[in-house]
Amino acid sequence: MSTATHEGDNRTHISLTINGLAVDVTAGMTLVEAAWHAGVPGITGVGCLEGVCGSCRVMLRRDKVVSVGLACQTFVESGIEVIFLPAASAPRHHYDINDFKDSWDIHARFHSIFPEASRCRHCHGCVGACPKDISVEDGVALAAQGRYREAGEAFFECVMCELCDVACPELIAPAHVGLFSRRITAHFHLRPPNLITRLEELRQKRVEMGEGERDED
Amino acid sequence: MRSGILLKQALESYRSDADVGPLPPPVDTDSLLNTFHPDHLRGSVVKLGVGVNAGDSCQRDLADLLQTEAYIDEADLAGTPVTDVDVLVIGGGGAGCAAALAAAEKGARVLLATKLRLGDSNTVMAEGGIQASIEPDDSVQKHIQDTLRGGHHAGNPSLVASMAEDGPDVLRWLIHLGMQFELTASGDLQTRRAGGMSASRLVYCRDYTGLEMMRVLREAVTQHRSIEVWEQSPAVELLSNEFGLKCVGAVLTSLIDGQMRIVRTRSVILATGGLGRLHLNGFATSNHLGATGDGLVLAYRIGAKLCELDSFQYHPTGLVYPSHLSGKLVTEGVRAAGALLLNANGNRFIDELQPRDIVCAAILRECQEGRGVRIDDERVGVWLDTPRLEQTQPGLLERQFPNLMSRTKGSGLDPRTQPLLVHPTLHYQNGGVIIDASGASTVPGLYAVGEVAGGIHGRNRIMGNALLEIICFGRRAGYAATAKRDRGPKKVTLEHINQLRRALTLAKMPMTRRAPQILPAYAKGGLWTR
Ligand SMILES: Cc1cc2nc3c(=O)[nH]c(=O)nc-3n(C[C@H](O)[C@H](O)[C@H](O)COP(=O)(O)OP(=O)(O)OC[C@H]3O[C@@H](n4cnc5c(N)ncnc54)[C@H](O)[C@@H]3O)c2cc1C
Ligand code: SF4
Ligand code: SF4
Ligand code: FES
Repeated sequence: MSTATHEGDNRTHISLTINGLAVDVTAGMTLVEAAWHAGVPGITGVGCLEGVCGSCRVMLRRDKVVSVGLACQTFVESGIEVIFLPAASAPRHHYDINDFKDSWDIHARFHSIFPEASRCRHCHGCVGACPKDISVEDGVALAAQGRYREAGEAFFECVMCELCDVACPELIAPAHVGLFSRRITAHFHLRPPNLITRLEELRQKRVEMGEGERDED
Repeated sequence: MRSGILLKQALESYRSDADVGPLPPPVDTDSLLNTFHPDHLRGSVVKLGVGVNAGDSCQRDLADLLQTEAYIDEADLAGTPVTDVDVLVIGGGGAGCAAALAAAEKGARVLLATKLRLGDSNTVMAEGGIQASIEPDDSVQKHIQDTLRGGHHAGNPSLVASMAEDGPDVLRWLIHLGMQFELTASGDLQTRRAGGMSASRLVYCRDYTGLEMMRVLREAVTQHRSIEVWEQSPAVELLSNEFGLKCVGAVLTSLIDGQMRIVRTRSVILATGGLGRLHLNGFATSNHLGATGDGLVLAYRIGAKLCELDSFQYHPTGLVYPSHLSGKLVTEGVRAAGALLLNANGNRFIDELQPRDIVCAAILRECQEGRGVRIDDERVGVWLDTPRLEQTQPGLLERQFPNLMSRTKGSGLDPRTQPLLVHPTLHYQNGGVIIDASGASTVPGLYAVGEVAGGIHGRNRIMGNALLEIICFGRRAGYAATAKRDRGPKKVTLEHINQLRRALTLAKMPMTRRAPQILPAYAKGGLWTR
């Protein structure tokens, strides 16, 4: 067992650029730490620092090869160019889950909200972009076939970075297709008997105590 | 160099099959806490000198922030663009989103302003689960009792009752919005029993409960027609009426271009979360970058009463290494699964499943008495013996703790073969703004919900009650804030700041520092050191 891994920060010098600024740091730092260390201004797309909030989106260029990732989970490397990406733009697909009264027409609704989803050209752009190794493309296909439960399951570890949305040439917004699939699965199908029983007990108790029904939503 | 056994040496003598010795006889927990828990560190608590809590105990670093100069004065308000809304929600975590959705449900035009991106929060990081009494052998009453006992009976019983009563309906509301939970084979909600619970009451979504909750709330908020969201827009001050007695809006700044904006409204709902990133008493933290206690500062200045300002939860097992994950949690589940805590001599020193404050104090005792594993002057900890766990239950770490495995992977650290070095980490603010059952603070027009509010968890929070609290009181405040239909403010002023300045001057307090903090110093574009 070596201590090197624990001691980690062997003080190797690393030079790279962040948002166009040349930066000198030591090995073992993440891109977020490097940006802070060098005082790169305006790095506010940072939240959890552990890979679950999806905010710290970066574009990386290594020897002309461009990729994307999460800055708090990516370590510095010599010679790479890093650009912190701005937050995603406003959503283009609109729906309100309260409008869904009937689960039988959900397929039609899905395709009217996400008309592009059936036009996937299987370019794998979304899969290559996803920092969480999600099978985004398959998930979109499942949703387009009306298999929302399975589609949603594919997106289980999605951290909402929306890098797949950026990568998609058909503007399908795969991240939101995934979230839609997960949400309607719960909305229509999650009816747990233990919860329903307790809710009814509490309702009856309120009626007995003369508090009446709740008017909240 | 301070005391302790150096890492290299400790690693060389570590064996995953070594005899760990018997558990030492239990010590008096009161004296353990009084001697070693950070809340009791000598010099870490002071008395507040100005404001509504003058004379009350307060953690020193926090007191410094509560009694400081503001960023802006009246001159800054002239010419600043004004936006009018029915309800202003400050903070885009779980509590803020719930409040915004509830207010919008009631027909209010809502503006939600948040410091970073919508959803960058402590909420998104929660792993364990959310409490609600839904099992046949459980009851609202038991939930109330457990919460009060867990908080050492310092919580407000009526707030606790509101929260416990709302529990089941909070789950229904979340499911309606599209949140998934773990189910049993028969379709019941799966529950778990965690520390301090007298029945199985924790519902969850694998070990990503907060992520599942946050992405559903975030989508619901961004999709809502009557909620406008301003990201990268921290609140730097609240606004009061001409007497400094009522909250009538807030001043927001853009992190992008520094532009200030005035928001004028009947009701402000503060939902700014916790303060881990203040690194109280020099501790690392499990919190997200924006957790700098801004809401406490803003509320205190406008005259809202706060409580339990000297009581914080330090989670026993924060990572010491790898450095970029310093302070990040190793979930309690790893200890629940059987992982032991060992000091540098390879001995057990505490029953690992004691309440958090006790395990935390025991680890600090080992470190202070020279039985810690030391990397350098600053970094010291004890072993969380994951290799032994792997040996006795092969494959368990990968199966049950994928989150931990994937986080350490990038650093060449494998918990299956190397023990993890852990140290207590600043995790949760037990107290906060005093509220009533509708989330209203002691200042008219100002509500506070979520981690920024106090009075529910007393002096210690049990697992799963924070996620319940944020939705329960978030909704309650959203409804209450909308029900108020007065004509709205005529004049927005900084009268409360003028009063604060007078008080600070009278008390001969320095006015050199400004608050709220907004971002930790190392993230402000300055030089960052570990
Ligand atoms: C790692 C971790 C694990 C946890 N696990 C659990 C668990 O299993 N179960 C449980 O019940 N609890 C858990 N907790 C606690 C729980 O997650 C939090 O207490 C809760 O989510 C807080 O919600 P909130 O909405 O009040 O605050 P947050 O979710 O932190 O949201 C606050 C928001 O306000 C914003 N903000 C801050 N200042 C300003 C400002 N000046 N202007 C505008 N916006 C501002 C922030 O950027 C953030 O978006 C955990 C906490 C952490 C850190
Ligand atoms: S599915 Fe899309 S939004 Fe989700 S983590 Fe992957 S790239 Fe990010
Ligand atoms: S990027 Fe878009 S078009 Fe390409 S595979 Fe993914 S979903 Fe299909
Ligand atoms: S900061 Fe949250 S994913 Fe990187």
